[in-house]
Parts: sequence; structure tokens; C-alpha cells
Amino acid sequence: MSGGISLGHYLPGNSFFHQLNPRIKVPSLVIILATLFAVTSFPALLTMIVLVFLMFRLARVPFRYLLKGLRPILYIALFALFIFLFFTKGGVVLFRLGPLTVESAGLWQGLFVITRLVTLVLFSLLLTLTTTPLSLTHGLGYFLKPLGRIGLPTEEVVMIMAIAMRFIPTLIEESQRLMRAQVSRGADFESGSIFRKAKNLVPLIVPLFVSAFRRADELAMAMEARGYRLGAKRTRLHEDVITATDWAVLLVVLVMLAASFYFKL
Amino acid sequence: MYIGTSKLTHTYWPGTPFAADALKNISFSVGQGTFTLLIGPSGSGKTTLIQHLNGLLKPSAGEVYFDGKKIGPDKAALLALRRRVGLVFQMPEDQFFSETVFDEIAYAPRNLGLDEKKVEERVNRAVAQVGLERSRLLDRHPFQLSAGQKRRVAIASVLSLEPEVLILDEPAAGLDPEGKGNLLNLLSSLNRAGKITIMVSTHHLDEIAALADNLVVLNEGGLVMSGKTKEILARGAELKELGLALPQVTGIMHELAARGLPVSTDIYSLSAACDEILQAKRADQR
Ligand SMILES: Nc1ncnc2c1ncn2[C@@H]1O[C@H](COP(=O)(O)OP(=O)(O)OP(=O)(O)O)[C@@H](O)[C@H]1O
Ligand SMILES: [Mg+2]
Repeated sequence: MSGGISLGHYLPGNSFFHQLNPRIKVPSLVIILATLFAVTSFPALLTMIVLVFLMFRLARVPFRYLLKGLRPILYIALFALFIFLFFTKGGVVLFRLGPLTVESAGLWQGLFVITRLVTLVLFSLLLTLTTTPLSLTHGLGYFLKPLGRIGLPTEEVVMIMAIAMRFIPTLIEESQRLMRAQVSRGADFESGSIFRKAKNLVPLIVPLFVSAFRRADELAMAMEARGYRLGAKRTRLHEDVITATDWAVLLVVLVMLAASFYFKL
Repeated sequence: MYIGTSKLTHTYWPGTPFAADALKNISFSVGQGTFTLLIGPSGSGKTTLIQHLNGLLKPSAGEVYFDGKKIGPDKAALLALRRRVGLVFQMPEDQFFSETVFDEIAYAPRNLGLDEKKVEERVNRAVAQVGLERSRLLDRHPFQLSAGQKRRVAIASVLSLEPEVLILDEPAAGLDPEGKGNLLNLLSSLNRAGKITIMVSTHHLDEIAALADNLVVLNEGGLVMSGKTKEILARGAELKELGLALPQVTGIMHELAARGLPVSTDIYSLSAACDEILQAKRADQR
């Protein structure tokens, strides 16, 4: 099994961050993101950047994973910068292009906003790179539990998410295999108009659905055979305990948030 | 060389922590019109190797050849290659998507852009080649067929490309003994009468060994040995070490030789074994 590669994110390892409990990691990320929105000064923001890079070092994530993770937001960042440059006024005029001017306030604000965006993405990336999708799901599921009181089937929702996570790589692998098989039979998935392309996908989608339904059926059967019942109380194979280190991490990020408010950083 | 590789290496997920060499430094070649068996335990790289032979996978290092030419990245050349080298995947019935058997088999020739009349000719020819011409199943739904029929339809749906090479990945997997026997007859007749070069991967050497001119043995991504069937089967101990069972007949011959009957051990067909044993017995009595 290619174990989660296809989700593009999780990077196996056993660093400090890999070992943190997801029930702590998830809220810690939320608190850090809140801190990022709370800070308004460049020095504070730069401190956060330095911090995230140090954390990546500690997690032993190769640099190119950061670049890969940042690529999707490249255009959003450029667009934001562009808007700020030309539409935020104030300070000295730096540059004039016909009726348009670029003023210093726009430059500073633009830089600040995209730096904040990049930092935000980097922190989130650190979470997904060091947490398996499965434990991430269980981490999130823990915070869904209170919703059980108002009648939401949270256990089941988490189970559905976990199973979906488990099967995404399988389905991707399957679709690659099918694509190769049909290419061997002369299929062409690359050229042609959009309409043709859509039509060409039929030999891919039909077998994919057939196998997905068969798999679902088999899985349901296997789960029932092992005593799965809706609403039953379940325990987990790996009971996750929250250690002193976990609490310490949570404390540190809380202090960071408090400090950013208190000192108006 | 007709089909072959030179120092072929393939790495899945290069440059990630998941990187794994599925093939290491594989060089082999087979001639036109031959029947070759690719043997190796599960995970030895058979499927990976096969998918290089019609350009579905690109080598991480080394080269793949077909008909004297190196297989390159050129798209038009790859299309032409795939018409000449037909590939039947492992569990090929998982690819079925049409509403009738006819459409399933017609998929490949239609992709070639042939007109409907030519397509029909090809479908009929392919159906005859796999021996289903009398079962009138062209209008049936592919999912309604038996396992053996499905496998034949899957093979027909590649034969309709009219390739000169047919490569099959574990074609006998999941078939009952009768279905297996039919399949072997089919492959043999395609090779002998149809003059199609055939390459079959399997992790189970058995009756099929009697059809093969050459054996190529893989283990953990490396080439262990390749050559004439007779020569390789004589090295039974090495094969057993890899966890590959010898054909039953060959196993018996090895056993007899070990117990002192002077028989040769490179025998893999039932009739040859009978002759050899009778001869040895006669010599013994004299
Ligand atoms: N898509 C893939 N991604 C990552 N690794 C793969 C992939 N496909 C195959 N492998 C690995 O490459 C090696 C060779 O696999 P391959 O499928 O070629 O073996 P095989 O001989 O066909 O096995 P089997 O008899 O089980 O079909 C295995 O170790 C396998 O785990
Ligand atoms: Mg295989």
C-alpha cells in the first residue's frame, strides 16, 4: 500500500511534532492562527515566521515540501499584493503609472497581508505533514463529541470520515491503473474538445464506480462480521494519552495568544 | 532484439520517503514469435516490468526496446507501439464498462478510428480467436458472463487491436482448472497458429511451462535468470529457494532422480515424462 502518499501531505517520521497528540495539535493550530490574526506589527509577524521555520527544522521536513505546499496560494498572494499596491492610499507616492499610483502604505499593507497568509499556510502545512489523515480525523472527531448531546451521530460521522480518508489513496491508485489499462486499449484521455474529453472518461468512471460499490459492500460485510453496530460504544486500539509535553505545548501557544493581545504586538 | 530491456531500473515515487526500486538493472530480450514466461513471487516486479514494454511506465534508468528501436517519449510513436504490443492487465474484467460484449471488444478498434464495418470484422475475428464465436454472447451484458468467459472477452478486447505481441499479466488468476486449461489452449493457438509473440507473467509454474520457449525469473526487482525453459527448469533447487513451485511433472522427475532412477530433470510436459520414465525403466531391467 502506498499509505497516504496520494493525499499529498503526510510525511512519515517520528519527530517531536509527529508525536504530539492530535487532540492538542488541532486546537493549538487554531490558537496559532488566531494569534496570527491578532498581531499587527511586522516584528511580531517576523517572529512567527522564524518560529514556523524552526518548527519545520525540528520536524525534519525537507525545504521543497514547503515550496510545494505554498504553490497553490501563489496566485492568491500575488493578486492580494496587486490589490493593496494600487488601491490602498497613504504615505509617500512611490511610483506613478498614468492615473494609478503606488503609495507606501499600500506596499507595507500588501507585504504584511501576504506574509501573514504565507505564515498561516505554513503552520497548517506543519500540521498536515506531521499528522496522518486518520489521526487528524480522530483529533477533529474529539471536538465533535459535544454535538452528540444534541443528537448528532458523531461517532458515525468520524467513522465515515476515517473510512473515506482510508480509501482516497486506494481510489486514486485504482483510477491510475484503469487509466493505464484503457490507454493500452487505445484510449486517449488528453486530446480533444472538452465534450470529447468528458465522453472519453466513461471507460474510467464506470469501472471505478463498480469497484467502489463492490468494495463498500465487502467492507460493510467485514465490519458486521466483526461485530460493528451503529451506536455501540467503541474503544480504540491505540488509546491516545495526553502527556505533560502536550499540555506544555498548549500552554505555550495560549501564552503567545495572550501576549499578542496584552502587549498589542 | 525484438522485445527487450537494457539495464532497466524503475523507482516508484522517486525523491520522496516512499521511493522504492521496483526493478533493478534488468536486461533481457526475447525473439519474435516466441512464447515467454515471466515468473516471480508476489511483489517481484512483474507488473512493473510488463508496463514498460508498451510504454505505460517510463524507465527511471536504462532502456526498453521493441523491434530494434528504443521506446521513447514521443507521443505518436507510443500510440503506434501500443497498437503493436497488446497488454492484458491483471484481472482485466475490472475494466469492463460497456453495456454489451460487442461494445466492449469494439472499444479498441473504435479508438483506432476504424469505420463500423471494419470494427465489426475485427470484433468477429477476435471473438473467433478466443473461441467464443458459437456462444452468441455479443449482445449480453459483460457482467453476466462466467469468470472464464469474462477473461476471454477481456483478451478479445485487446486482440481486436490486432497486435503482433500479446502480453498478459497473470491471465490465469482466479480461474478454475477447466478455465485455466482453456486459457492455455487459447494462448498456445494464438502463438502457434496466430504467429503472435506471447509473454505471460505468473507466479505459478505449471502446465503453462510446457508452452514456453523462454523463462525470465524475477525476484525482489532483480533478474535472477533468463533463458530456455529446459535449461532453467533443470536448476530446480534455485527456483525452489525463491519459493516458486516447479511444474508438478518436473517436481516428480527431480524426486525420481534424487531416488536413483536415471532420468533427466529438465522435463516439463506429461508425455515427455512418460517416455523418459519408460526408457529409464527399460534400461534398468536390462
Ligand atoms: N503504484 C505503485 N506505487 C508504489 N509502489 C508500487 C506501485 N506498484 C507497485 N509497487 C511496488 O513495486 C514492487 C513490484 O510490484 P509489482 O506490482 O510490479 O509486482 P508483481 O510481481 O506484479 O506482484 P504480483 O504478483 O503481486 O502482481 C512491489 O514492491 C510493490 O509494492
Ligand atoms: Mg502483478
